[in-house]
Amino acid sequence: MLTGSKTTFKVKQMPDLKERIMNQSALHTRGRDMFGLCCLPGECVLQRAILVRKKLSPKEGGGWLSGTLFCTHFRVAFVPQDATKPDDNADPVLLGDHDVALASIEKVVAVGPSRTKLVTANSSLKFTPEKLVLYCRDLRILCFLFDRLTPDTQAVEITHTIAKTYQPLKPGTILSFQNAALGSIEMKQFLSNRQRDPSMAWFESPADWEQELERTGATGWRVSSVNDRFEMSTSLSRFNVVPQKVLDMELKRTFAHFSEGRIPRWCWRHRCGCDLLRTASFQNNIYHEKDDIRNLELILFGGHAECVVVDLGEEMPSLVDVQLAHVRLRALCLGDISSSVSIPDDKWLSSLEGTHWLDYARCCLRKAAEVACLLKRGHLTIVLQEPEDRDWNCVVASLVQVMCDPHCRTVAGFQGLVQKEWVTAGHRFLSRINYHRDSDKEEAPIFLLFLDCVWQLWAQFPACFQLSEEYLLGLHDSLLLPLYSTFLANCQRERSRRSQHLPPSYTPVNGLKALARAPAEEPTDTPYPPVWDWTLQYSSQRRALFTQPVGQPASPPVVLNGNLNTSPEPEWHSDGSPGSVFLLSRSAFSCPASLLPWRSSGGPGSYWKSHRRAPSSESLPALERLVKACYRAEPSPGAAASRDPHETLLPLLLGPCVCVWRTCYLRGVLHAQAFTYPMSSNTRHPMDQLAWEVERLRERLAEASGGHPPSRRQQEPRRLDSNLNRNANNGTFLFSSSSSSSSSSSSSSSSSSSSSPRTSQQENPGHFSGHPCVAPRSTSRDGTKHTFLFGRPPQTQAGHRYTTTPSAKLPRSSTSTGAKHH
Amino acid sequence: MLSLGSGGAKSTKPSFVSYVTPEEIKSEKEPQKKERHPNLLPGEVVFCSTNPILKYTQDDISQRGIFGTLLCTNFRVSFISDETPQEEPTQHFKNKLYGENDIPLMCVDCLYGVYDEKKKLITGGMLKNKYPSKMIIHCKDLRVFQFCLTFTKEEEAKKIFQGIVHHCLEPKSLKCVFAFSYANTKGPEMQRTQRTLMFDSQEDWSQEMKRTKGNCRIVTENQNFELSERLPKYFIIPAAVSDDDLSKFPGKGLPIWCWSHHSGCALFKASSLPVTQEDGVAQAWMERMLHAVAQTHLYSVKIEDLLETLPNIQDIQQSYTKFKQFFLIDNSTDFWMSDVKWFSSLENTGWLDIIRQCLQKAVEVVECLEKENTNVLITEEEGSDLCCVISSLVQIMMDPHCRTLTGFQNLVQKEWVAGCHAFLDRCNHLHQKDKECQSPVFLLFLECVWQLVQQHSPAFQFSETYLTVLSDSIHVPAFGTFLFNSAFQRESCLKHSQRGPLSWPAVWDWSMQFDCKAQELFINPLYAEKLKQEKVLRKVPRIKHQRQLSLPSSAFKTPPKKGFFKDEAESLKKMLRVKRFSRWMVPPDSPAVATRQFYEAWQQKPLDYHGLLLPCLDGPAMRLWMQRYLRWTPEAQILGGGSVAITSKLAELLGEVRALQRELAQKGWWDSMGEGHHRPQTMSLALVRTSLRLSSYFPFAASRNWSFKPVIPTGLLQSLMVTDKLASQEDETNEVISLV
Repeated sequence: MLTGSKTTFKVKQMPDLKERIMNQSALHTRGRDMFGLCCLPGECVLQRAILVRKKLSPKEGGGWLSGTLFCTHFRVAFVPQDATKPDDNADPVLLGDHDVALASIEKVVAVGPSRTKLVTANSSLKFTPEKLVLYCRDLRILCFLFDRLTPDTQAVEITHTIAKTYQPLKPGTILSFQNAALGSIEMKQFLSNRQRDPSMAWFESPADWEQELERTGATGWRVSSVNDRFEMSTSLSRFNVVPQKVLDMELKRTFAHFSEGRIPRWCWRHRCGCDLLRTASFQNNIYHEKDDIRNLELILFGGHAECVVVDLGEEMPSLVDVQLAHVRLRALCLGDISSSVSIPDDKWLSSLEGTHWLDYARCCLRKAAEVACLLKRGHLTIVLQEPEDRDWNCVVASLVQVMCDPHCRTVAGFQGLVQKEWVTAGHRFLSRINYHRDSDKEEAPIFLLFLDCVWQLWAQFPACFQLSEEYLLGLHDSLLLPLYSTFLANCQRERSRRSQHLPPSYTPVNGLKALARAPAEEPTDTPYPPVWDWTLQYSSQRRALFTQPVGQPASPPVVLNGNLNTSPEPEWHSDGSPGSVFLLSRSAFSCPASLLPWRSSGGPGSYWKSHRRAPSSESLPALERLVKACYRAEPSPGAAASRDPHETLLPLLLGPCVCVWRTCYLRGVLHAQAFTYPMSSNTRHPMDQLAWEVERLRERLAEASGGHPPSRRQQEPRRLDSNLNRNANNGTFLFSSSSSSSSSSSSSSSSSSSSSPRTSQQENPGHFSGHPCVAPRSTSRDGTKHTFLFGRPPQTQAGHRYTTTPSAKLPRSSTSTGAKHH
Repeated sequence: MLSLGSGGAKSTKPSFVSYVTPEEIKSEKEPQKKERHPNLLPGEVVFCSTNPILKYTQDDISQRGIFGTLLCTNFRVSFISDETPQEEPTQHFKNKLYGENDIPLMCVDCLYGVYDEKKKLITGGMLKNKYPSKMIIHCKDLRVFQFCLTFTKEEEAKKIFQGIVHHCLEPKSLKCVFAFSYANTKGPEMQRTQRTLMFDSQEDWSQEMKRTKGNCRIVTENQNFELSERLPKYFIIPAAVSDDDLSKFPGKGLPIWCWSHHSGCALFKASSLPVTQEDGVAQAWMERMLHAVAQTHLYSVKIEDLLETLPNIQDIQQSYTKFKQFFLIDNSTDFWMSDVKWFSSLENTGWLDIIRQCLQKAVEVVECLEKENTNVLITEEEGSDLCCVISSLVQIMMDPHCRTLTGFQNLVQKEWVAGCHAFLDRCNHLHQKDKECQSPVFLLFLECVWQLVQQHSPAFQFSETYLTVLSDSIHVPAFGTFLFNSAFQRESCLKHSQRGPLSWPAVWDWSMQFDCKAQELFINPLYAEKLKQEKVLRKVPRIKHQRQLSLPSSAFKTPPKKGFFKDEAESLKKMLRVKRFSRWMVPPDSPAVATRQFYEAWQQKPLDYHGLLLPCLDGPAMRLWMQRYLRWTPEAQILGGGSVAITSKLAELLGEVRALQRELAQKGWWDSMGEGHHRPQTMSLALVRTSLRLSSYFPFAASRNWSFKPVIPTGLLQSLMVTDKLASQEDETNEVISLV
């Protein structure tokens, strides 16, 4: 319904509501509602209920918040009574802090004085609900309480309206939902003018890949654009990194040897000089010509003499298992009022065990930890191999990087990582999330499992991440919303066809199957935004929580050209002797003869066999010992005096150490909320407070020693004016400082006095932004707060802001004064 | 005595690697002979010592070890390494009384001997000839020690083994406890310097009553324990109880005041009356008592018989015995074994469920006090086990004072120590044969408090570490606090000693065990006290004492508006208050449902860390006290991770702020605003601010363990092995040898 709504409100299907809506649109030309709801362009309010109270989690301050409840044809919105008037010129934000998109809703439950009813589109409500409970797909549960003074008709009507308009996802409805959100002309215009966040790598251009090569210090690799038109492989990205020695001509001939043409591609290099590759399984039924074999070996070995193939096909759980585990976990965590089945408290732990979700998370982490240990050895190529190369390879490859590379623990780095290993690498987001509800067999929340794994790492090493739990939650929730181009396609080819940046490909060699569904939704020309456009999705308050002030010193330049690679690289391929290949499977190494099909087949390569054995079996136990002993290689406590940011985070995987992601899975369960996080978000965590104070003091110190206060006026973003291009500022830190000491002192006193736990939402920094003396703080809360410049020379003091190691303690100017002082 | 025995030809295992070869020991032995004794405490006597003994380090499957001397004194079993102790600067959290290789005798939980590769539990009794090749000691604070006895002479080994068995397992008399030798060494003036109320004087009780605005009378008749030996010297009962009634059933059935709610209703506890046939007398007397309880406050009374709804002490003991087995681990492989079915096996012990039940019962009592404003009388057979748990928990939930460090210590002193919890029997300090009385009730209480601390950490001034240390201190026989069954026993031991009147240090004098820096770790740096006080200054005074001052003593007064359960009908209550005695025990609903509703209603209010606190009781809410149970397990330690990482980050930031402030002050840019500035935590976190990376069990993790971390668990293969191995192992441990 309401599919074709444009800028003006057209209410065809809802005649009963027509009058009210017309009234509003007459008053507000730009689609702003008079009750304080900031509508998207083209969004129309279907129903409204006043004097509604929303139950807040303790994280939001606890208790109830009273306000007005709206149902539009895109979302269920709640506007607190005393919310500040939204600024008419601000960029549209899809979802406010209290809103939920209709597509996220899974169940609508009305609670009356004596009964509870699951409301569907067809059901009728025979009682006046006192409470409205919305169960969401992302495991949130929203609870609204109607006041006695709420007109009964409003309470009934809004329940009905929500039940009718929320779309139990099925083919077709998703489109109307997307149109409701993004379909208006204004919105389309706005989206198409929007620029991409330049601070993160998108891996959609060769430059990003080259930069990644440079950042990791990988040599001997080049970016090949042989798949530019997706002719070689439909599911691979346009640009792939392959050994320099392989020419494009030669490369083209290797695609056929791998299933779906997913050849071994470089994805990351460890500091010790190990390269991480990923590939699909070999095509066995193909004749290996002698010329090809050289190239095949080349792209597999990359420049190293040894290669370990990590087999991910067998050990990982099947997709069906993961899906089942997730279904069970949801059932366990989503305490459901409408169904009376509940698990007794004393059986909770064994039920949790029965879901196996944690086992699977553990399995992924273990595999990644093994690979991470192996990477320390150096002089290896490690090839992750999975039959399709589109699920577990993504999980393990990215987990390995999160463990080993501090850059991937920042927001920008993590986003780049997901772009690199998931989005452009062709993870089947569309099928796995199953927005369309048409491919149930392929549904499996692999990406959610990955997020859970990252959370496990985060929970064990909270001080090593710049991104916060809140960020992971934000990403988790966005995944379930069919609005983002990132997740609305199965591979890069589908994605770029939709955005029509690319002429259609002509002769796809392989993987015709992947194309089958793409044309179905071709007619829409809605430009879907990428998920990383956070300013579009969440309010600035929420985004401010995405980073935490526990970053690490800006990474020192990586080992360029592999200083650790001092030994001469064996030129094994020139004299014809092959490198050794090992298989890591089930935590054990072996070198089965059939590992590389071209070597074992009786073809021209068979004569290598005899040569191969000797070196392989020699180093076999050594490798095994390496993985077993890697934990012991931890520096002794004495030597660990200075924290090495590059140290691998190896998670503990014992039963007691792997926990449930409570703030995600249990946040909806009303009773479980008490222990989410002891601090309400309004009173800031002491950590935040101190971090902010450090920042402020530094600024003042810089002022004091610099003599002239840097002018902040021009740099301070007039966020209200500059709408579209503000993203450009996100990546770098806007160095702002208070102009005078008196102003900053008053700002601090005002912040300390306002720290009562009951401060409501609008007392957040956003509220201060009009107040001149607190301006620096509000700037810092604007998403740019904890930004670290990784992999780039620290050009501003910002790079050092949270460094706490003595070596990089203060900016230049202040260290000199510090020396004087001592 | 210290000559090296090449002995143990029996089963020398070739598998271990030692840092010191036996030859080296031989050469070093003579000059070092003097140093092998630990720094003995005053009154400590060495019973026997043997060298060399190999102590296995627990870290690895490949059993390494350290040679050294094993001693047994009247205080502890101690192991002193032969290696020259390198002074480790990292040892902040050192206990002054016993080191990391010392086991106070009371702390020994079980002894196992390994005879021909078989592990057997050793019970008391005389051991004639046989001694094991390896001795495994499980401690009550969950440490595990393994000593190899095969390197020393046979008779030496036998001697030390029998000595340890004798002193750790044989029943002994109270007088032999080390505290009796240790007592009197500190002057009695020490007690006055500390702020914890001991509740052994009338003043302490009246002070406490004044604080809570209680309206009862203090009984002084038991000053010399004439009324009952199971009652404290002084206690408080409803004012209406007559002196005649006081002595009717000496010590039994008296409603003893615990705590008063600001609305006027109060919590009482009582032991149950002896069951007699002459029902009339007891019945009438009981009715009078209830009348007294009610009349004081003009509210109705609700009786909670804890025996009916909560598990009894034997259940608790059984459950805990099963539970702790998961953490008493001889080597790493054992740990991996328990891993696969971790959650369900944890659940099967029932320990977490017992914690939940206790908390739930406490919430029910809180509900009566807070919502219905009824008096509550909790009863139990002895009135000093679960009554103590519930009444203390209720006070912690309702009274913010009990969430401060001093307040908590007062509470323990009041409810447990002065309240005559039978520590001696419950902890089985004397290794009595019949273990029926043994039950970790106090530990259960600490567990419940830990759950609360975990859920509402900013509300508590003390930290998790404090609770862990307190739970360890139960088994340190140097203090008088947790040593006796009752105040009477303590008094009589004090007086009737050959050495004249004795005095013991209290556990609360933490400087006996830890230095100032270590004691700082007892404080929760995120305690929300400061924020609150600011608010209080500006707004209506809401701190407990002040609020009550405004209340007239009449209990008829409507409770102040603060409670969200503003009562519904005052008159109804008046009507009920006399009539309801005979049917107090009318459960309105199933208790769990009522509790849940109460909890939900509470949750609808903004969280006030200085008001009522309720725990969440859901399945996922009950957690494992990782710090206490897993701190010695190197496999479970996250190096550079865990919540300590956050705390240390906090400390770093705080230090940085201070340094910057100082620097600014130097330049004159820092004006006076520094003084009035709000600071989230006042304590110095210097201890955490080491440049070292801390393990997640920070104050406890011994640094030597750090270099050994677990291998990655290998595959499903292991998980398949586990089940049968676990089963067979159980069989082994069940084999008990008694060589009487």
